Amino acid sequence: MRKVNSTIGVTAALIMAMSLAAGNTGKPGAGPQNNNSGRYLVNIDNFSFGPATLTVPVGTRVTWTNHDDIPHNVVSVDKKFASPVLDTDEQFSYTFNTRGTYEYYCSIHPKMTGKVVVQ
Amino acid sequence: MGRGFLGTAASFRADLTLVVEIGMGAALLVGTVLARQRRYRAHAWCQSAVVLLNLVAIMLFMAPSFSRQVAPKITAGLGHSYRALALVHAGLGSVAELLGIYILMVAGTDILPKRLRFARYKPWMRMALVLWWLVLLLGLGTYVRWYIGPARLRWVRRSPCGRLTSYAARGGASRVTERTGHLAFIWEDGAR
Repeated sequence: MRKVNSTIGVTAALIMAMSLAAGNTGKPGAGPQNNNSGRYLVNIDNFSFGPATLTVPVGTRVTWTNHDDIPHNVVSVDKKFASPVLDTDEQFSYTFNTRGTYEYYCSIHPKMTGKVVVQ
Repeated sequence: MGRGFLGTAASFRADLTLVVEIGMGAALLVGTVLARQRRYRAHAWCQSAVVLLNLVAIMLFMAPSFSRQVAPKITAGLGHSYRALALVHAGLGSVAELLGIYILMVAGTDILPKRLRFARYKPWMRMALVLWWLVLLLGLGTYVRWYIGPARLRWVRRSPCGRLTSYAARGGASRVTERTGHLAFIWEDGAR
């Protein structure tokens, strides 16, 4: 009887260990919250950029998507990049290859500002 | 960077254009009153100044804005109300401005040959005034659509016990928190 109980216990422990191991495999390492398969996303909605400040590593491609019901654009303060006018659901992407802080705004609605910090 | 002064999401230029256009619309009405008072010289100066100033406003502010924000997307169609509104405003506004220039040339100069001149002033001038104000209202609508937007329309309901509850109307979706009480509209700036 004692032998059966110990066998059951060992088996149960093995099963639990295997379950935990399976649960931990296949998950990518944690990254920034809006990282979707290595893409960094900024949502344009309700006259604002979200997140307003985005910190990314060098070489990152950031994609802005206009979810608002009016057109917007994305223009860098120091003229490094400028999107065309984006209708609803249109996107604009830019790859940041140099460290620094990149402030941008919507030239149609100058109150809308954002920042990308490249580290 | 070029932020407006009317508390909306508009740029300084857009706000300035709006204020100037409303002022010019009012000036046209003043000019109409001057004509009724038979003060024709003052009437001529007033209306001519408005037509010429509006031409400057179009060339300095509205045409560049149109070419940057509306024209590139015209081929994509008029499915979006903000583009359709701007296009109608631009089209009718151009007609109104050209009509104003034509009236100015007929009534104030001898440039045009006789066959191109009208004899009865009042119908032409009244038509120009009505068209101008229609364009002005379209311009106001364009401003609201572009810089305030329909998503900023907020329904405010007051519950029977006096508390204010609200839901935001956006693209047909809404969230009702109270079903009874009084109803009021409030426009608010959507910028966070």
